[in-house]
Amino acid sequence: MTPDLYATAAGLIERSAAAYVSGVPEAAADDGLFGPASVAWRVGTDLASPVAGLRSLLMQALHPLAMAGVDQHSGWRRDPVGRLAATSAYLATVTFGERAVAEQAAARVRRIHDHVRGVDAVTGRRYAAGDPALLLWVHAALVQSSLAAVWAFGTPLSAEDSDRYVEEMTVAAELVGVPRPLVPASFAELERYVASVRPGLSCTPAARESMAYLLDPQGLDGEIAGFWQDVRDAAIAVLPEWARQMYGYSAPPLSPGRRTEIRQSLGVLDVMFLSEPGVLEARQRISLRMRTGRIA
Amino acid sequence: MKSRRLLATTMAGGATVALTLVLLRRRLGPLRRDRGRAALRLFVRGGVRYAVSAPRLFATAGEQRQLLREDLALQTAEDVAGTLGAMKGVMMKIGQMASYVDDGLSPAVRHTLARLQDSVPPMSPQLAAAVVEEELGAPPERAFARWDPRPIAAASIGQVHRAVTLDGRAVAVKVQYPGIAETIAADLRNVALLRRMLRVAAPAQDVDALLSELRDRITEELDYRHEAVSQRLMAAYFDGHPTIHIPGIISELSTRRVMTSELSGGARFAELSTWPQRERDLAAETIYRFVFRSLYEVGAFNGDPHPGNYLFHRGGRVTFLDFGLVKHFSPAELEPLMQMARTICVEHDPGAFRRSLEEAGFLRAGAPLSTQAIIEHLAVFYDTIREPGPLTITSDYASSVVRRFFDLRSPVAEYVSVPRSYVLLQRINLGLFAVLGELSATADWRAISEEIWPFVRGPASTPMGRAEAAWRARRLAMAA
Repeated sequence: MTPDLYATAAGLIERSAAAYVSGVPEAAADDGLFGPASVAWRVGTDLASPVAGLRSLLMQALHPLAMAGVDQHSGWRRDPVGRLAATSAYLATVTFGERAVAEQAAARVRRIHDHVRGVDAVTGRRYAAGDPALLLWVHAALVQSSLAAVWAFGTPLSAEDSDRYVEEMTVAAELVGVPRPLVPASFAELERYVASVRPGLSCTPAARESMAYLLDPQGLDGEIAGFWQDVRDAAIAVLPEWARQMYGYSAPPLSPGRRTEIRQSLGVLDVMFLSEPGVLEARQRISLRMRTGRIA
Repeated sequence: MKSRRLLATTMAGGATVALTLVLLRRRLGPLRRDRGRAALRLFVRGGVRYAVSAPRLFATAGEQRQLLREDLALQTAEDVAGTLGAMKGVMMKIGQMASYVDDGLSPAVRHTLARLQDSVPPMSPQLAAAVVEEELGAPPERAFARWDPRPIAAASIGQVHRAVTLDGRAVAVKVQYPGIAETIAADLRNVALLRRMLRVAAPAQDVDALLSELRDRITEELDYRHEAVSQRLMAAYFDGHPTIHIPGIISELSTRRVMTSELSGGARFAELSTWPQRERDLAAETIYRFVFRSLYEVGAFNGDPHPGNYLFHRGGRVTFLDFGLVKHFSPAELEPLMQMARTICVEHDPGAFRRSLEEAGFLRAGAPLSTQAIIEHLAVFYDTIREPGPLTITSDYASSVVRRFFDLRSPVAEYVSVPRSYVLLQRINLGLFAVLGELSATADWRAISEEIWPFVRGPASTPMGRAEAAWRARRLAMAA
């Protein structure tokens, strides 16, 4: 398959925004799985979120079986923006949604995963999306990427808060079916886990193609394209060196000036995001609850 | 490849002056073209929407205490940076300026803007007090006899508090968000990104002129001392004017981040629109006189003709607030504007009008266009003043001016550009037309213009004109 078979990436901002709004409750009955005082909420509202998201995907794709599952089942090529929006909606729901709603969303994901099974064409290995090992990798890549992105381009977390974030996020892994004892619960454990998986990672053709598409999506709305380049550079810059090598990407060291530029681009993107219907209001609901959480 | 431009323009309206800010040139083929328009739209939409929704930086004055979202108040400098850092403050400022350039906002967007205007967080009382203490050397309770810790309004990158000075004067104290000046100054240094945001919108030389002008004006706004100077200048000129009122500056309580001026009451724009049409016409006449007296007599205009910057009183008296964005003109910069108005409105000499456009740099010399086509495109802002007689400016008329002026398909667009000094002029023209249209104001705009035009100095044409003439006579007598 070639990248040409991918559908257009038009509407990325609009659909991501709608997905985000759908995940943030209007009048929440409870504080959900994390709550307004959590580090997870801070990370979830950070300017660096697009970088976190793209880095997550780059990391997750390096697991051949995880990549095969996405490639063969998810409709990713047919509707990449829809697939990304669905993931955004899920993450917003799990992070900010009421407990019951988050659990329902997770249950739905588990049911879908039950049907995602197959054989990876490259390694010949069988896979199942419900396999805790795959789910754990996807989870760890997200958590690590969020920390890396926030450190480099957002509001950096203290060492304690980084540990707290990893610990808080164990709930999310459990929700999709990873047994609690398997889930890293501190930053050090997370790093050890990633190192332990690394020998099994590789850049398969499916990963290379998918990520090439993501880094330069065709049909991306013109006003976004320039900014997407900065998001891409940022995500690549905060990948581990070994991951960059697997893809064959090069990244010059991030100068303070370049970092500022990227933050500025992220600010512009955020304003575009905020100007989509309902996003500002959703942000305000979250801010308000976080304010109250901070005072309490 | 055929290249075209979208013109966003400039015009010192009625009495006035032309022209133009080239906004969109499309030389890179269909894809780039569509992208350019979409980007501009999105940028304007995003910028404008954010401008009015984030801390209300722009509308000023009046009693809005209950509307400010104190529950979302910014409590720390980090909150300020989170809300206005990373280019957001800059986008808001540019969005604010671009709002006068956009081809009219839809009613739905207007409604959203109005709704969002009420939802913006101020600084917490503690944060505002800390800024006052840093600037004035004493906490507000000691720097002032009375201090109201709750802001009454948002202002240019800050908010307004009511207070009473130690010598008993009621004042409005504008307090700047901490750290915002540094953040915006840093973001303005990213010229590449700013250019990228505007790039799609203009040919290179025009983008740079626009950018330089925007950067200069925004940078000035970051230091309230510039505003104090402009406001003092305006207040001194209009001192004693029968209907134009500019609050005085309290110099000893004004610094880079705090500006103290006399407190003014009055009705907001929304309330004015419930007053009888006669009152609205008088208010419009005062605004019109203010704009063009400022331009021709003071060599300056307030670049922010925002309805939120006026307070209204019966009988046409208007208090003008917020001089953060004031553009000063030298006599040499004013001359071409007068020449254009004179040639098109008074002398009715299309050829001379065309030459004055060319000499001022608005129109490329030798453009293969008929003078008639040029008049049709570029004289649009003079339509209300080319002939004498009463005329009503409606909202429809105001938006048709914008539409005509922004017409991409006009063959004239190709040959128009705007010298840097006039880049922001369109703000006042389009903003002025929007305000007058909003009021459905009727007047003999030509006759009023003639009173003001230095090259005509016509007789007083209205009761307000007679009162103004008496005021001018008194001024001259005092100066003598």
